[in-house]
Amino acid sequence: MNTIIQIAFRNLLQHRRRSLLLGGAIAMVTLLLVMLSALLNGMQATMLRNGTTLSSGHVNVAGFYKVTAGNAAPLVTKFEPLKELVEKATPDLSYVVTRGRGFGKIVSEESSLNSVLTGIDIQNESGFKEIVQVASGKIADLAEPKTALLFEKQAERLHVKVGDNITVSSQTFRGVNNTVDVKVVAIGRDLGMLSAFNCFVHHNAIRDLYELDPDTTGAIQLYLKNADDAREVAAKLRTVVAATGLRVMEPVEQPFWRKFDAVKREDWTGQKIDITTWLDELAFMRYTLTTLSALIFVLVTVLLVIIVIGVMNTLWMAIRERTREIGALRAIGMQRGRVLWMFIVEVALLALGATVVGSAGATVLCLGINAAKIVVPKAFQMFLMSETLWLIADVPTVARSLAIIAVVTTLGAVLPAWRASRLQPVKAMQTAS
Amino acid sequence: MTTAYAATETPIVKLVNVDKDYELGTVIVPALRDVSLSIAAGEFTVIAGPSGSGKTTLLNLIGCVDIATRGSVIIDGSDTKVLKDKQLTELRLRSLGFIFQSFNLVGVLDAFDNVEFPLLLQGKLSKADRRERVMVLLRQLGIEQYSHHRPGELSGGQRQRVAIARALVTEPRIVLADEPTANLDSKTGNSILDSMQELNARGTTFLFSTHDPRVVSRAGRVIRLVDGEIADHNATAEDVAQLAAAAHAA
Ligand SMILES: Nc1ncnc2c1ncn2[C@@H]1O[C@H](COP(=O)(O)OP(=O)(O)OP(=O)(O)O)[C@@H](O)[C@H]1O
Ligand SMILES: [Mg+2]
Repeated sequence: MNTIIQIAFRNLLQHRRRSLLLGGAIAMVTLLLVMLSALLNGMQATMLRNGTTLSSGHVNVAGFYKVTAGNAAPLVTKFEPLKELVEKATPDLSYVVTRGRGFGKIVSEESSLNSVLTGIDIQNESGFKEIVQVASGKIADLAEPKTALLFEKQAERLHVKVGDNITVSSQTFRGVNNTVDVKVVAIGRDLGMLSAFNCFVHHNAIRDLYELDPDTTGAIQLYLKNADDAREVAAKLRTVVAATGLRVMEPVEQPFWRKFDAVKREDWTGQKIDITTWLDELAFMRYTLTTLSALIFVLVTVLLVIIVIGVMNTLWMAIRERTREIGALRAIGMQRGRVLWMFIVEVALLALGATVVGSAGATVLCLGINAAKIVVPKAFQMFLMSETLWLIADVPTVARSLAIIAVVTTLGAVLPAWRASRLQPVKAMQTAS
Repeated sequence: MTTAYAATETPIVKLVNVDKDYELGTVIVPALRDVSLSIAAGEFTVIAGPSGSGKTTLLNLIGCVDIATRGSVIIDGSDTKVLKDKQLTELRLRSLGFIFQSFNLVGVLDAFDNVEFPLLLQGKLSKADRRERVMVLLRQLGIEQYSHHRPGELSGGQRQRVAIARALVTEPRIVLADEPTANLDSKTGNSILDSMQELNARGTTFLFSTHDPRVVSRAGRVIRLVDGEIADHNATAEDVAQLAAAAHAA
């Protein structure tokens, strides 16, 4: 009934101060929820984009090669036919790269550091070229053999610049120490924790370092049109690859570098294929995000409890003031249900108005922050995996936040409104005004 | 004035051996004792009695906003004791118009909206018909020009007239009024009583409580309440005036 909405609306206006206070609080919590969700979205998107470019494909066909039972190397031997096979078997494939995997010490004239080593063929790496911003040098020069790309922080620690030579040293899979000299051709901008422990070299530098044949690689990384299909595709590839007679490992939600100990303890030799997804390889980062979203959940829940108490309190007050009016309305024939509605609608209107204002404000703020390209402190860059704050306040996020807060707030009105609807008309009218 | 109430069929209001007790903590206050009474459709009846004699209590029982402690109250054929809250509310909306001692208008609605409200609850008339109905009443009661004023912007007498219009707008079979002239000057009081008598002539049953001798003098029938009991089912205005004078003197 229109008049009920009218009464509710006018009562809100009548008590402007009270409405503004409560509405303001609701708007602030909405704003906070939208902003934090947008931050989480931004981090998730960055993680997916950067993580799946720098350290994992959407689906990885990799594995371990064991010369002896106690010795595991992250290798895929004779990878060409396997690559052809999985390429054919993957629907909606965007592109494929092969990467060498290793771990070693990078030594410059003045310093050294330990790093993951990734061997790449730059001409196939379309995503990599988009993600990695060079601070100096040229990414394309990684096409030359014996070249490397470092990130700023590593370059700083090693005191090297583009054009300098560094030595990469590691133990080969046969247990002998070996070194390769490579030239730094590019220095990339830092990308948080993903770039801190990773150094990219020409694929052949990895092969040289570990004395591998040209038909070996570390991983075949598949990029899909839709990253969400990764698990499904991985499952399919496991059966396809197993059908060729290759041994395929059971899926575990872990990055490959966490699997060495387990693999070494197993009693087999030769090649086993391990097909993983970005969800496995980036499990640690997803854990960070899950923790963060749990924290947001707790924070927003606490704030919502406070808001609901505020709503109940305000409504008790309004009902006490209007008790005689309620009694009279009941006496002239207004049903209990209508009285209940009248108060719920009052809170619902306030909640709707406040959440709309709050989420509109948050959206504008998010756009502003993105446009301002605010550089976050180094410590946060690690977690954000980017240098600047990037917030994604998309329609589903805003709509979800708005709905949650509007609904919860309105639910806070139910008990007081119900009590109001149960007032005895006579008693209500006898109440002192 | 006299109304032909004697020659009617079933009474529209019938109370049989009604008691009403209020509980004040552990004390029980008997407000009405063994009240039996019937009112025929079309009557113009006044309940007279000193303060605290139980006039409001009786009107509340007849107005279906309260339930008798003992005995039965039958309104328009329905025993209010057996009705659920929903049906009682429906009965109030359909058959009764209630004018309260303190007007209890909706503060945020203007005079027009307050008067229109019961019609909206009934949901029977079109917007145009509602408007027509409301405006006719406001005109009759001489507050047409205040239709867009909220209760807070009206005098006591004007508010009372809005409350009266709200009670009459649904054209109820019974109109109950608790001291309707208490807040009005004699000129306004008389003009309101005139309109009510006009409506009564067309068939609406009126039941007032009052101290006001002017109202008593217009009644078709006077029921006198003393200490929660009916002292006289059909007193004359003179009786009431004498008793009031005696009480005053004492
Ligand atoms: N809610 C209540 N609780 C306890 N006692 C009540 C209550 N309402 C009324 N009473 C008592 O019941 C008796 C009748 O009260 P009622 O209001 O019906 O009198 P009244 O004739 O309308 O008086 P007035 O002319 O002053 O309006 C009084 O003694 C009053 O104190
Ligand atoms: Mg009274």
